[in-house]
Amino acid sequence: MGLMDEAVDNVETEINNLKLNAKEALDQLGAEFSGAVYDSILTTKLGKVVGWAQKNALWPATFGLACCAIEMMAMANSRWDSARFGAEVFRASPRQADLMIVSGRVSQKMAPVLKRIYNQMPEPKWVIAMGACSSCGGIFNNYAIVQGVDRVVPVDVYVPGCPPGPEALLYGVIKLQEKILKEAGSEKARQRVA
Amino acid sequence: MGVTEQGLLERDKDTMTLNMGPQHPSTHGVFRVVLEMDGEIVRSAEPDIGFLHTGIEKTAENKRYVHCIPMTDRLDYLSPPQNNLAFCLTVERLLGLKELPARADYLRVIMCELGRIGSHLVWLGTHALDIGAMTVFLYAWREREMILDLNEMISGVRMMTSYIRVGGVAKDATPQWLDGVRKFIDHVPAKIDEYESLLTNNPIWLDRTRGIGTMTKEDALNWSMSGPVLRASGIDWDWRKKRPYSRYDEFKFDVPTQDHGDVYDRYLVRMEEMRQSREIIKQALDNLPDGPYKIEDNKVSLPPRDTLHTSMESLIHHFKLVSDGVKVPKGSAYVPTEGARGEVGFYIVSDGSNTPYRMKLRAPSFMAIPGMCKMMEGSFIADVVAIIGSIDIVMGEVDR
Amino acid sequence: MTNEEIKEQLEATFGDAITHAEVSPHGECVIRVAVEQLSAVMEDLKQNKDFDYLSQITGVDYLEQDREPRFDVVYELFSLTKDRHIRVHVGLPEDEPTIPSVYHLWRGADFPERELFDMFGFNVTGHPNMKRLIMPEGWEGHPLLKDYPLTVEEIAFSHNPDHKSELIKTQEDVKADPWA
Repeated sequence: MGLMDEAVDNVETEINNLKLNAKEALDQLGAEFSGAVYDSILTTKLGKVVGWAQKNALWPATFGLACCAIEMMAMANSRWDSARFGAEVFRASPRQADLMIVSGRVSQKMAPVLKRIYNQMPEPKWVIAMGACSSCGGIFNNYAIVQGVDRVVPVDVYVPGCPPGPEALLYGVIKLQEKILKEAGSEKARQRVA
Repeated sequence: MGVTEQGLLERDKDTMTLNMGPQHPSTHGVFRVVLEMDGEIVRSAEPDIGFLHTGIEKTAENKRYVHCIPMTDRLDYLSPPQNNLAFCLTVERLLGLKELPARADYLRVIMCELGRIGSHLVWLGTHALDIGAMTVFLYAWREREMILDLNEMISGVRMMTSYIRVGGVAKDATPQWLDGVRKFIDHVPAKIDEYESLLTNNPIWLDRTRGIGTMTKEDALNWSMSGPVLRASGIDWDWRKKRPYSRYDEFKFDVPTQDHGDVYDRYLVRMEEMRQSREIIKQALDNLPDGPYKIEDNKVSLPPRDTLHTSMESLIHHFKLVSDGVKVPKGSAYVPTEGARGEVGFYIVSDGSNTPYRMKLRAPSFMAIPGMCKMMEGSFIADVVAIIGSIDIVMGEVDR
Repeated sequence: MTNEEIKEQLEATFGDAITHAEVSPHGECVIRVAVEQLSAVMEDLKQNKDFDYLSQITGVDYLEQDREPRFDVVYELFSLTKDRHIRVHVGLPEDEPTIPSVYHLWRGADFPERELFDMFGFNVTGHPNMKRLIMPEGWEGHPLLKDYPLTVEEIAFSHNPDHKSELIKTQEDVKADPWA
């Protein structure tokens, strides 16, 4: 009887070990496949195609806060048409946007709202800090303004100016597009989605 | 909230709370209003502001007067020259400057009226966009680009020019700039007619704006409305006519008023104001006097650069002005001016030093918001958007 | 009624309550009232002298000038129908900055009085909705007081890396936010 018990114990331990190993192996597989698009055999090439598609259809969320918003509107208008670069529609709902252009000064009361809107955007998402106030607090170094929006959300491109002209913001969008294409297919792009 | 026997949530009130903003395409900046809705009708609207609070008033207490001027640009950021002018007029009153050279005043008037037209173009574009007319948005910005090009020509900056300084203006107007302004005012009347042809008799526009957001004369006064909103309700009061500043009494222009005080009337008042501004600029250009573009008192404005090489006095004045700034005698003053949105003025208390002791902006949008929320009561949710657009609030000056 | 006449009538009606009255060379009529008689003076201005338009209400903190009383509230009133102007100063003591509301006379006092509470901490009695207006709801302190710091932040450069590490600490505080 003792031998049978021992055998049962051994088999159970083995089965548990196998289960644990299988779970670990599955976890690893899962981690690899969560960025499924990036993990196929043609990783880099397919990733580049996806990156090209993403960069050419960046839809900004309307996040105009202050004076920079007027220059952002000017960028969207006919003289410096941003639609020809793919930023066709400014989506009012953050759930349909992938780019947040923080245009204007972020006050202490607005920072939680900014974070919330950022969280509501689906991944992959990018942030452009437009203007001096969102890059570093601008000319307002006081109790009321968050000294740089990168204390609240991760920023990809900073566009300096007070306010930056529409051509400067457009250059920022183009630089972001180059960044997306450069990162496409690589680990960095996968981290954006995972 | 309690639970009924069937497991349904009990209603604690009859209305639905709808939060509008601060991130919203139609709130013209970061304005939040909490609406209590009874179906489609708004029962009450509670405003929540402060999302753009910048602490400008406190920061200004530590900055010299000339450093406050770029900050005033960023208050009402749609017509920056008007803020500059209000600030400079108050400082000049504290300094006791009786009169500026005529050329300085005329250049100030041209910049302010260009700013007014620019601001009204933004109002028109965004208001029409909110109501659904997207074409007007694109057209209005086309004209605004001309104004911004003129700004860039004279001051180097498209929007925040900081052109109007204490004692006059920053730089003289070049012949190219004057040509550019003339081209602009020749081009603009046909364009304003174009906007009117799209909207004024448009049945959709009339349906969306006539009878909406009405405010009577007495209410408009009591709720401290000013500017186009006040004039659309029937009160003929324009600070440029009643308390003329910067030689506005030398110009001939009309002040449009309407009777009903609804969104459509405010639209008509602002369209006519654009035309009248164009008239003022034309008269200023035709009669632009020669002479200095800033006061010649070197304790207030910088001496001409070429005299710095030859005159010791000029050098010392320049040095004192640039390092220390202008010292303003003790006192307090408030000069109301007519901005694009209404009465703009700075109440400045000075303690005799080179920084303001207290600088307070009287912002027309700030005073208009409670009245605006009163207008929303009883209207449909779609009209809330039209009302906010018609009051033309800009949050930079509301929150300061 | 010119500004001179208004000033004289007010002095006649209220006598001692008006501690200072003048008409400046620019035509501005300025009076100073004791806070106890403020409501009566304001009623008189609105009902009898046709001051129908409240332009603004400002607060000033005279801490740095060592003035007694420490605070000042300034009302700017106009009559748009009769073209008049008056500026009313009210001094408030430091230990008890209480002032009656004028909301029942001019609805336009709604926001400025809330701002007085928010920015200075004045106790405005009789206001229907006294809450913070511009600062976030849980904010401590009243920013426009002279002893409230401006909170200027040192800018981190490569030569003062200590500041940078302090800045990184503030990011941790943001990360502690459950919505992050």
